[in-house]
Amino acid sequence: MDSDTSQKPISATPSAGSRVQRRSFAEILLNVRELAPGLGLAAVVLFFTLQTRNFWSPQTMTAISTIASTIAIVSIGVTMLMICGEFDLSVGQNFAFTPIIWAILFVTNGMNEWLALAVALALAICVGMVNGLVTTIFGIPSFITTLGMFFVLQGLNNLLISGHQLIMFDPSSAISLLGARIGTTPFYMPLVWMFIIAGAFWFVLARLRYGNWTFATGGRVGPAKAMGVPTGRVKRTNFILSAFFAGLAGCMQFAYLRGVTQGQGQNYELLAITAAVLGGTSLFGGTGTIWGSVIGAFLLATIQIGLVLIGVPGSFYVTFIGVMLVIVVIANVRLGRFGTNQA
Amino acid sequence: MPLHAQAPAPIPDKTHVIDRSGEPVFELRSVSHSYGRNKVIFDVSLAVWPGEVVGLVGDNGAGKSTLLKIFAGYQHPTSGTLRFMGKDVRFATPADARAMGIEAVYQDLAIVDQLSLWRNFFLGKEIVRTIGPLHVLERQRMRREAQQAISELGLTRVRSVEEPVWTLSGGERQSVAITRAMHFGAKLLMLDEPTAALSVRETRNVLASIGRARDHGLGVLYIDHNMNHVLPVADRIVLLELGRVVRVMDRGEVSLEELQDLIARRP
Repeated sequence: MDSDTSQKPISATPSAGSRVQRRSFAEILLNVRELAPGLGLAAVVLFFTLQTRNFWSPQTMTAISTIASTIAIVSIGVTMLMICGEFDLSVGQNFAFTPIIWAILFVTNGMNEWLALAVALALAICVGMVNGLVTTIFGIPSFITTLGMFFVLQGLNNLLISGHQLIMFDPSSAISLLGARIGTTPFYMPLVWMFIIAGAFWFVLARLRYGNWTFATGGRVGPAKAMGVPTGRVKRTNFILSAFFAGLAGCMQFAYLRGVTQGQGQNYELLAITAAVLGGTSLFGGTGTIWGSVIGAFLLATIQIGLVLIGVPGSFYVTFIGVMLVIVVIANVRLGRFGTNQA
Repeated sequence: MPLHAQAPAPIPDKTHVIDRSGEPVFELRSVSHSYGRNKVIFDVSLAVWPGEVVGLVGDNGAGKSTLLKIFAGYQHPTSGTLRFMGKDVRFATPADARAMGIEAVYQDLAIVDQLSLWRNFFLGKEIVRTIGPLHVLERQRMRREAQQAISELGLTRVRSVEEPVWTLSGGERQSVAITRAMHFGAKLLMLDEPTAALSVRETRNVLASIGRARDHGLGVLYIDHNMNHVLPVADRIVLLELGRVVRVMDRGEVSLEELQDLIARRP
């Protein structure tokens, strides 16, 4: 990042002692990183509202919100990790692995469902720990570490359910907590969890020392380390968060669908990164927002369902997303938005 | 530099305005260092007193960086002693050196571009309220303190501590780092080529920041091979050559041309 080209003219206002100077409302608004993706989402929603008759139907709302909320929860963990400068390509397989473990213990082997869930999530945490330890101890790119983990988990998933589907027939309290319908609304529990988790991690990033350290680690690891930030520990913690939320979101999907196949979560590692990038998170670390990633996830889900509604073949969705992703990144780089963070 | 405008002293040390009667902030006593069988530092003794800027100069390979690493706790000298504020010390890690108040400001390792000024200012030393396992940032207090320190210590061009640091120039970043070190009570400031790649005006600002640090009573070790920048601020100049101190010169004792000749000549 060249300082001289990005230098803005700064007016030489006499600073009035210790008073913290405030920025104008327009400046604050322009600096809200969620503004651009938010406007993008609004435009997409408007487009499909005008182009289809049943966009606001309960069925559509259910489809969009459940797809968006599970991608968003995965993306929140991935966003934390990307802000500190690392990637996790194993989240998609973890999204299947964790509920498969849960289902095998609880549906097939009759273990207490809460205990089984705890074991499954503990395994998800172990996956994140291995990713983090291997990456930080050996100093290799997390792209490689987690690509390796992707294949390891894919193999395990194949081994564990070998093409079958694990189906949960009886309702249970854990299943309800994670995946039940909310009253008579078209919405399901994953949406509630998404808001809780997003709110919590917005707070972590903006208000906690850990958030400051996460930004600093991804911004420039050298100065962060020199200033006493435990950058290795920050990275390892974020690897764990990423793996844990991927596993948790997978369990929510299982609880909502009442079934899991080894194909669950296919492409989710890339969709989670895409949601984050659409929401304004930098691929180079140091910048990003949680709500941006949530908006990005809703963009993906709205486009996926919207295209089906207007009669475009479903497989066109990923083609469309691919093109949009590249355009958004070009726009971000051109506008220099990857230069700052607004936590 | 009005403080040091006096006529240069005829004899090195003792008669200069700097009070060297007390203990130096930091002192190397007969330090030697080898990398494997390759000896790079030969019996170097060097002291920096409070309120003194010591310029450490020499050509590439003279051992400047190795000495800096020893000062900052990245390297243990093979032999000799380190003394900090009159006591023998041994740094296990650079963090130990920092904890004692030895602050190194590196050209590339000072600032995280994406963070706002106040977040940079308090990075690694955040003021927090501890609520259970959470360390909640005291944002208002840190903003206020950062603003105060920066307006008192000279960075008047900064409009708001909310500005992300990439809006600052290279020289302003250096000044932020120096100001930060002063604010957190550093005793010894080490600068490794702080003016490299800076414009003339920027250089002047950074040199002014160094002057302010000295006026606050910090000892400053200023390492550079650009004599133009070292000469105006240094109270003493220590010339290194192939790992040995070959000359110690007081302010005014030597001219720019002489100094450049000294460095350029090969033993």
